[in-house]
Amino acid sequence: MAKRIMPPNNSEPARPEAHLLQGTLDMLILKAVSLGPLHGYGVLLRIQQISKDALQIPQGSLYPALYRLEHRGWIAAEWGESENKRKAKYYRLTAAGRRQLESERRDWDRLVGAIADVLEA
Amino acid sequence: MRFWRPSHLSREVASDIEGHIERYTADLIAGGIEPDEARRRARMEFGSTAAVAEECREAAGLRWPDEFLRDLRYGTRVLRKSPTFTTAAVATLALCIGANTAIFSVVDAVLLRPLPYPHPERLVTPARYYWGQGESSYNVPQTGRTWEAIRDNATVLDAAVFGYGANKVNFAAGNSVQNVRQERVSTGFFRVLGIPPLMGRGFSATEDSAGGRDVAVVSYALWKHALHSDPAVIGQSIMLRGAPYTVVGVMPAGFQSSSKADLWTPLRPSTTGEGEGSNYTIVARLKPGVTWAQAEGQMEAIGASVLKKTGSDNVGLRLLSFQSGLTKELRTPLLILWAAVGLVLLIGCVNIAGLLLARAAGRTRELATRMALGSGRAALIRQLLAESVLLGLCGGAAGALLGWLGVQALKLLAQDSLNVWQTVALNGRVLGVAAGASMLAGILFGLYPALVASRLEIRAALGEGGRGVAGARNPWPRRLMVAGEVALGMLLLVGAGLLIRTFAYLEGLNPGFDARHVITAQVSLQDARYGTVARVTHLLDQSLERMREMPGVDSAAVALSLPYEQALNVGFRRMDGKHVDTDWQISNFFYITPEFFRVLRIPLLRGRVFTAADNSTANKAAIVSERFVRMYLSGDDPLGRHLDLGGGGLEDKVEIVGVVGDIQQKSGWGEDYGPVAAMPDIYVPAAQTFDQFLQVVHTWFTPSWIVRTSGPPEGVIAGMQRALAAVDPQLPFAGFHSMDDVRYHALAGERFQAALLGALAALALLLAAVGIYGMIANSVAERRRELGIRLALGATVAQAMRAVAWPGVALALAGVAAGSVLAAFASRLLRHIVWGVRPGDPLTFAAVGLCLLAVAAAASFLPALRVARLNAAETLRQE
Repeated sequence: MAKRIMPPNNSEPARPEAHLLQGTLDMLILKAVSLGPLHGYGVLLRIQQISKDALQIPQGSLYPALYRLEHRGWIAAEWGESENKRKAKYYRLTAAGRRQLESERRDWDRLVGAIADVLEA
Repeated sequence: MRFWRPSHLSREVASDIEGHIERYTADLIAGGIEPDEARRRARMEFGSTAAVAEECREAAGLRWPDEFLRDLRYGTRVLRKSPTFTTAAVATLALCIGANTAIFSVVDAVLLRPLPYPHPERLVTPARYYWGQGESSYNVPQTGRTWEAIRDNATVLDAAVFGYGANKVNFAAGNSVQNVRQERVSTGFFRVLGIPPLMGRGFSATEDSAGGRDVAVVSYALWKHALHSDPAVIGQSIMLRGAPYTVVGVMPAGFQSSSKADLWTPLRPSTTGEGEGSNYTIVARLKPGVTWAQAEGQMEAIGASVLKKTGSDNVGLRLLSFQSGLTKELRTPLLILWAAVGLVLLIGCVNIAGLLLARAAGRTRELATRMALGSGRAALIRQLLAESVLLGLCGGAAGALLGWLGVQALKLLAQDSLNVWQTVALNGRVLGVAAGASMLAGILFGLYPALVASRLEIRAALGEGGRGVAGARNPWPRRLMVAGEVALGMLLLVGAGLLIRTFAYLEGLNPGFDARHVITAQVSLQDARYGTVARVTHLLDQSLERMREMPGVDSAAVALSLPYEQALNVGFRRMDGKHVDTDWQISNFFYITPEFFRVLRIPLLRGRVFTAADNSTANKAAIVSERFVRMYLSGDDPLGRHLDLGGGGLEDKVEIVGVVGDIQQKSGWGEDYGPVAAMPDIYVPAAQTFDQFLQVVHTWFTPSWIVRTSGPPEGVIAGMQRALAAVDPQLPFAGFHSMDDVRYHALAGERFQAALLGALAALALLLAAVGIYGMIANSVAERRRELGIRLALGATVAQAMRAVAWPGVALALAGVAAGSVLAAFASRLLRHIVWGVRPGDPLTFAAVGLCLLAVAAAASFLPALRVARLNAAETLRQE
C-alpha cells in the first residue's frame, strides 16, 4: 500500500490518485520551491495543494530527492525557523535549478503534446 | 558544495526527517486525531526512517566512504558473532603470512636486495663454466694464473681479487689483544666495489705484491672500539699475527665485504702456493659503456687461452653477476624454501576460501532476507568482500607479528648455516609484500563465495526455510579445494620427509672416532713468529707436554683440522705398486702430532701410528685412511707404498706406514660425497712438513688442540690456557668446543633446512586437517535433516557417521594420489641436496601418504561424532 499524506481536514474518502510518472518528482519539487523557500513537509503540502490532492507523493521518496537535487546544485538549503519555533532546513531554487526546471518543463510539454497528438489521432 | 562530513550530514538528515514527522503529527492532531494515534500513524506512514536517511546520504553523494565504514562495522559485528570461524581464518592467515614474511626476509636479504654498493648491477665475477656429459656447473674460485690473465687482458673490466673467507688472527694495538677477522684483498678492491675509505686509502700495487710493505685497512667498528676512534690513526702501527702492520685506511661504518671482516690486508696473489689452487675470487666492475655481451666475449677469449680441458668436460670462462656468484650455494636451498612457504600460503588461502564458501552457504537465509529487504546484489558482494578484507587485515597484522618473531628465530638458526650478506630484517619491503599478500588473499578468497552467494534465488532460499538451497548447493568446488590442499600437503611433506631423512642419515653416520670427553680449541698460527717448522713443532711439543701433565687429562694432540670440519685437500701421485700416476689425484690432508689417533680413538687398522721418532730428520712417513686405500690402492698392499705430495707444495716422497679407520668430514670437493662423508685422507707428522707449506696453510686453516679428559672437564679449559701461555703468552685460544659441538655445527645447514621444511610441512598438514574438518563439520550441519531421517528409519549411528565422514577420507585418498604424482616430479629438484635416500624413496612416500590419510581420517571422523549427538525426533520436529 502506498503511504500517503491524508490532508488534515479532509474527511471525505480520498479521490482516485494519479500515480507519479517516473522522473516527474524532481520537476514537481523544483516547481514547488520556485514559488518561495519551503521545508520538506511544506514541499509535500504545496504539491498536494496545487494538484488539489490529485498527486500523492510517497513521504519516503521526498527526502532522498531533496538531497539529490541539493547535491546537484539545483536547490540550496538554509537553516531557518519554522512556524512551530523549530529549526528546519528551507529549500529554495538556485539559478541552475531554474534553468533545469525550464528545460524539464519544455521536455514535459513536448511529451504531453506528443502523447496528446497520438491519442487524438 | 558538500564536504565529507558524515556525522554532520547524518544529523542534518535526522533533523529533517524528525521535523517532518512532528509537523505531520501536529497536523493530524489538529485534524482531530488522538495524539498517540497521530504519532503512531505519522511514523507508520513515513516508513523506515533509517532506510530513508540512508537513501538521503547516498543521494548526497556520500555513498562510498560512508557505506564502506558501515560495511566494516557490520563485518566486525558479524565476525565477532562467529568466533570459531574467525579464529580459524585469522590463525590460518597469520601462520601463512608469518611464515612467508620470515622466509621472504631471508630470501630478500640474500638473493634479492641489491648488494650495498653503487651500481651493483655492473659488478660481475668471472666463473669457470663446465659443460659436457654431466650437468653444467659454474665454479667461482679461480687460480692465480686465471687471475693474472684477467688482470692483464680484460680491458673491459676494472677487476680486483680477494682470498678465501675471513681468518681469525691475533691483533694487538696499544694494550688491547684480541682475535679479529682478517680478509685478504687485492689492490683496487675497494675501488671496484665503489666504496672509498672514510680515511686514508686502499692498497697500492706495490703493497699488494710480494715483498711489499705490511699494511692494513681497518673497519669502522675496529677503529672505533680497538683504536678509540683515533683521528690520527693513519700511519700508525698495529700488531697483527705478531708482526707490525701500518694502518693505511679506515672504511666507513656499515661497509661490508663478502665476509664479515674487521680488517683487510693485501692478498698478494701469486701463481704458486696458494695461487696454484682455485683460491681466489675475482670481483670486477664493467667499465663505463661496456655491455655484458662484450665483457662475456672477452672472458671467453681469455678462458680459451688459460683454461685447459679436464676429463670429458669442456670448460670456459663466463660472467656471473657478483651477487649470484656469491650466493650460488645458497640459491637452491633458499628457492626451495621459498617455494615451500609459497605452497603453504596457497594451501592457507584455499582453506580460507573453503571456510568462507561454507559460511556463505550457511548464511543463505541472512543474505536472502537482506536482498528481499532491498539490498542490492552489489551491496551484498561488497559486504562479503568487506568481511574478507577485514579478515585479511587482521590476519596480515597477526602475520606481521609472527613474521617478526620468525625473523628473530631464523637469524639465530641462520648464523651457523647462512653466510648472509646483508642483515636479515623485517624491512618495509618485506612488510609490504606481507600486507599485499594478505590483502590479495582477502580479496581473492572473498570474491568467489561472494559471487556464489549473490546468485541466490531469494524466493527459494526464503520459501524453503533456508534448507533446500543449502542442501542442494554444489559441493564440488569445496571438495576440489580440499583434495587440492591434501595434494599440496603431500608435496610438501614428501620434500620435508626427504630432507629429514637426509639429515638423519648424515647424523647417523659412524663418526669414526669417540667424541666423548674431548675438548678442542683453535690457535691461529698465521703469525710471523711461526713461519718455520721448527718454531711450530716447538710450540706444539711444549704446550702438549704441559697439557698432558695436567690432572684429569688423558691425552693431547694437535691437528691441522678436526673431523667434521672441512679439511685441506692436496694433489698427490702414486709412485709405486700396482698404480702409478702421471696425473694428480686428490685427497684430504692433515698434519698431526703423534697422539692424534689415541686422543680421538680412531682405530689403527694396519701398520703403525706416528711416534716422536718421526721427526724432521727421519724418513718421511704418512698414514692413510681406509677410504684412501679403497679408492687409490685397491688390490695392493698399502704399507710401504710411496706417494708424491708435490701437488700440495710438499715436494717430497712419503712412505705409507699405517692405515687408520675413516672419519667423517665436511666435503669440500667431489660430486659423489654428501655434505658430510668419509673422505680419503693422508696424515703426516707436523714435524715433517715444510716452512713454506705451513705459512700457506696457516692463512687458511687454524690448527686445533685436542684434549681427551679422563675425569671431570672442570678446570681443563683454564689449564689448557695456562699451558699455552707458559709457552707463548701472546697466543690466545679462540673458542673452546667439545667434539660434539663441532659435529653439531658441521650439520647446521642440513639441520636448518630439515627443521624449516619440516615445520612448513607440519603447518601444511595442520591446514589440510583443518580444511577437511571444516568440510565434514559443515556437511554434518547441512545434512542434519537427512541424517535425522536416516536415524529415524533405523540406521545406526556408526552407519550415519561413516556416510558423513567418507567423503573426507575419499578426498584425502584422491589428494594423496595426485600429490604423489606431483611429488615424484618435484622431488627431482631436490636431488642435489638429498643424501642417503633416493628422491623417489618409496618408504618416504608411503610413510607420508599414510600419515596424511591418518590425519585426514581423524579430521573426518571427529566432526562426524556430532551425528551421535543428533536426536532424530528433535531434528525432524524442527523442520
